[in-house]
Amino acid sequence: MRAPAAAGPHAGLPVAPVQLYQVSMHYGAGETQVQALAGVSVTFPAGSWTAVMGPSGSGKSTLLHCAAGLDRVSAGRVLLAGQDITHATDAELTRLRRRTVGFVFQNFNLIGSLSAEQNVALPLRLAGARPSRRDVQTALADVGLADRGRHRPRELSGGQQQRVAIARAMVMRPSVLFADEPTGALDTGSARTVLRLLRRMVDAAGQTVVMVTHDPVAAASADAVVFLSDGRIADRLLRPSAAQVAERLTRLEG
Amino acid sequence: MLRISASTVRDRWPLFAGALLTVTLGVALVQSSVLVLVSTGDPTIPPGASGRLAEQIREGYVGAATLLGMATPLAMFLAVFIVGSTFAFSVEQRREELALLRMLGGSRPQLIRLLLGEAFLLGLAGSALGILLGMPATWLQARLLIGIGLLPGDFSARWSHGMLLLSPAVGIGVAVFGVLSASYRAARVHPLDALRSAPRATRVMTLGRWLWGVSSLVLTVMLVVAGHGADLLGALLVAMAIPVFGSIALSALSPLVVPLVGRLLGMVLRTSALGELAQANLRDAVRRSASTAAPVIVLVGLLVGLTGALNSLARAAGVDLERSTAADLVVTSTGAVAARIPQIPGVALASPQSQVEMSVTAQHRVDHRSYRQTHHSGITAVDAAAYRRTHRLTLRSGSLEALHGRTVAIGPRLAAEGVRDGAVTARIGPHKLKLRIVARLPEVLENGSDNFLVPRDLVPTAMLADAPTETLVQIAPGTSPQAVADRIRAAGIGEVRTLGQWADARVEAQQRGTMGIMAVLMGMSGLYAAIAVINAVVIAAAERRTEFAVARATGLSRSQVVRMAVIESAAVTLIGLLLGTLVAAAALASFYPGPAGVHILSVPWTLLGLLIMASLAVTAVASALTALTATRPSPTALIAARG
Repeated sequence: MRAPAAAGPHAGLPVAPVQLYQVSMHYGAGETQVQALAGVSVTFPAGSWTAVMGPSGSGKSTLLHCAAGLDRVSAGRVLLAGQDITHATDAELTRLRRRTVGFVFQNFNLIGSLSAEQNVALPLRLAGARPSRRDVQTALADVGLADRGRHRPRELSGGQQQRVAIARAMVMRPSVLFADEPTGALDTGSARTVLRLLRRMVDAAGQTVVMVTHDPVAAASADAVVFLSDGRIADRLLRPSAAQVAERLTRLEG
Repeated sequence: MLRISASTVRDRWPLFAGALLTVTLGVALVQSSVLVLVSTGDPTIPPGASGRLAEQIREGYVGAATLLGMATPLAMFLAVFIVGSTFAFSVEQRREELALLRMLGGSRPQLIRLLLGEAFLLGLAGSALGILLGMPATWLQARLLIGIGLLPGDFSARWSHGMLLLSPAVGIGVAVFGVLSASYRAARVHPLDALRSAPRATRVMTLGRWLWGVSSLVLTVMLVVAGHGADLLGALLVAMAIPVFGSIALSALSPLVVPLVGRLLGMVLRTSALGELAQANLRDAVRRSASTAAPVIVLVGLLVGLTGALNSLARAAGVDLERSTAADLVVTSTGAVAARIPQIPGVALASPQSQVEMSVTAQHRVDHRSYRQTHHSGITAVDAAAYRRTHRLTLRSGSLEALHGRTVAIGPRLAAEGVRDGAVTARIGPHKLKLRIVARLPEVLENGSDNFLVPRDLVPTAMLADAPTETLVQIAPGTSPQAVADRIRAAGIGEVRTLGQWADARVEAQQRGTMGIMAVLMGMSGLYAAIAVINAVVIAAAERRTEFAVARATGLSRSQVVRMAVIESAAVTLIGLLLGTLVAAAALASFYPGPAGVHILSVPWTLLGLLIMASLAVTAVASALTALTATRPSPTALIAARG
């Protein structure tokens, strides 16, 4: 893949945090077998933000799941933070989820019974750390929600919930942040706030972000866009405009 | 983890309410049983009570302890079972949340700890409530045991501080033990399930379910085979074990069995569109169906199986009693008036049997252990010649012809107690005499049989005259028993019954205690099962809001949706009833045809009927109400909320 311009302090890191080699993935067996990925090789470089796009059923979510170690690949190899996770045990994958990767989802997936602060502290506590209040509050302040720590998710707007989810993902300072349609359930204003937040994390802290989206505007905020079609990489764009993305997407769907 | 457990319990209490109630009731029952048990360990004999009365009081205490000892473990089994199935189901409902914890870096052991933590808190809360509820429960239980005549009227159970340790141990133990298998299932939840709005069809028949189900099934089949040739005691033991293992087996395997039986039911249901939809749901939501059917299986299997076994045992005792007694009428009176019976026209033979106030001290030897024991009750004065002609018994040894003067015969009740040959020491009023053992009677099934037979000429006339006496009467050939009975009544001698009536009454008197405890157990299990069924229906309804909305959007009216839900849960309940009856039938199989081909099987049809009606009513009402609640919002709102 043509490496996206990886500006910032992390430029020149030797190991890309996510590398996929000839990854294939199929569900089911026999007549009903579905090929979700067919020999995909892709590298997501450190300190860059890559959007993965494609028509429905193109395999973009599967790609994200395989790259994050949530799904096992049928063939090929997956390297996460330099570690081969193709045959990793559940305990190894659990460790990776704690230290190396963070997740943000379309539906926020906060735990309804916990306050914003408790939700943010949860990954730390699951990892056996005793989170300091200050760490948690800093993480919330970073997403502009310093004053909402005591609120339960149902007392927050969608955009606020998504920002809590980002704070929760970032509190462990993961090598890679995986985002699955992070703006999919938000209004345009909230979506813009979330995208700006991600941009700042990439530029200021050199965060690596891999984002699946079907929204050309969201994709245009990324450094690079990878297009998938029928489980294969169909195209790539560097720093595209929303219009360029939309045009490529229409062509793929057509 | 405990903090997450706490907030989950606080936030989703409806999910836990049923389990909490179950633990509370279980703790209360165990506490009250143990308190009553401890208090029965040291019987208070009123001063001045005769030896016979004291022995009867002691026997009542032992009887009460035995019944409590039987009922308590069964109640514990039910509590663990219900808590277990509630949690298993709630894990299914919380799949997304558990998957999210995995996604955020939660390990499998952490998820297990989370659920165990929830169970711990639940057990703690249930124990606190149970200790409080246990106090009135103890009083109630003591009243019940007094009511059925096992304990004297002035009995009261004492509080023991040990309960403050025991009750929480029971409560937490039941909750944690119940949640164990559910927690392992939770640990297998895949992180990706957090992202799937409709979770991938999970395998309902897990390896654990297979292992549990098949091993319990094999054990049940082995028990049924073993029970087939067993004697009555063996049959009873088998009948007590089968409901437990059979219920576990069929409940564990219910995801396989429910759709199978559902297909049979489907032939009836398919005739209407609603029925067809209900049957399709039944087949599709295997897990939900299994959760509703399981408590019904246990309830019916346990109650019908146990009650049937106890009733059959009682009938066997009655049959045995009738068969071994050669008499037409039985007259109950005092010894004095009984002496007039032979003069009544039409009486061919009268064999008086008087319960006398005396004591007999015998030497016992059982398993190389020798001891002396003094007996005060079950000592009967008989006329040896008449006794021989009214009892069809094959003596173990000796001869009743020699039962005259200072002699004694060892009664059926002590037949297996190893009374040593030679002599026993008797005490009649102030006199102490040595009695030579001349005969040993065989064992009988009846519990309240005699310890010793002594000749009437041994007992002072005044004592015989006061003694409560049963006289077995044979009628002269060609005379109507009814006419003779009327004549005895007219002579004012006492109560006259036919042999059959007398045998039934004797057996019933002995069964009264058992039935009282069974009634408590039935009430408890019924309540448990109702909680579990309602729980399953209510929890499921929340998950089905969208499904109901889709059904309405497809053109079903609200009342049609409710009817569909009711048909569905009624069908699941019917399946549970069917499987439970199967378990009960297996438990009772060893009583059929009965030893020596005598028909002793007694099926509690009334109980079965009541259970069928009550289960159907409870599930129908619960599902109708929850379906009504779930369909209150407009369907479009619910469908849209899904996206």
